[in-house]
Amino acid sequence: MTTYDHEQLAQLLAALPPAPMGLVAAAQELPRVRQSLDDLLVRAKEDAELRRLLVADLESALAESGIRPTPRILDEVRTRMRRL
Amino acid sequence: MDTRDPTSIGDAQLVTACRGGDEKAWNVLVERFSRYVYAICAQGFRLSPADAEDAFQDVFAKVYVQLDRLRDPEALRPWIAQLTRRVCLDRLRTGDRELPVEDVEPDGFDDQLETLDQALAVREALSGIGEMCSEMLDRFFARDESYRTIGEALDLPPGTIASRISRCLDKLKSALEDSAPLTRPVGR
Repeated sequence: MTTYDHEQLAQLLAALPPAPMGLVAAAQELPRVRQSLDDLLVRAKEDAELRRLLVADLESALAESGIRPTPRILDEVRTRMRRL
Repeated sequence: MDTRDPTSIGDAQLVTACRGGDEKAWNVLVERFSRYVYAICAQGFRLSPADAEDAFQDVFAKVYVQLDRLRDPEALRPWIAQLTRRVCLDRLRTGDRELPVEDVEPDGFDDQLETLDQALAVREALSGIGEMCSEMLDRFFARDESYRTIGEALDLPPGTIASRISRCLDKLKSALEDSAPLTRPVGR
């Protein structure tokens, strides 16, 4: 059994303020972003013109595919592009 | 997947649902652990806001990719805590990855993590005391809102907020006394 008084409860409730909203939303979008990335790279593997576009201007190509080109995403795509 | 509302299921079932590709379950997992992960980064490791944000994103990217490797789905919380710890340590070691943990980890980190574990258990107990109480306590203590702001948001006279908070704390205390420490009731 766990026993806390009001002061301890207040301190514990205050110990976990909300994480910044944008961060939570971005983390929740991970499955959709992953799927979009996978689809894009599958297409790039079969489409030389798309590969050229991705190499020439990766940020714009990702944005056009609905993927926000964060530094982390850009790094990952560049790494995966090298394996194509 | 489990057909119940993911917000009301335990960690093990949540892991199963996420592994099955249930996006709603993933949203719940992020919501359930977002404060915990951010607090470990910002309070436990005292990372700057920018570093804490980067670490937070790294942690959830790893959770998403590595969730299949979690051997015991009941151990989701300690697994996320460990992942977060490793991500924060890597961030603090930037430039000198050979530094031993004891030179990088802030003093008192284990105590801080224990406090955050308790805080997470208290947050979980909020779900058992009714939406109004849960929201009021969260707004007042975690979001640091004034009686006036809370009164306006919940359509309550500001003069009644203090006594309501006290009653809600009593309910929360009872809810915690009825539950085992640091566990979520199975099948809740």
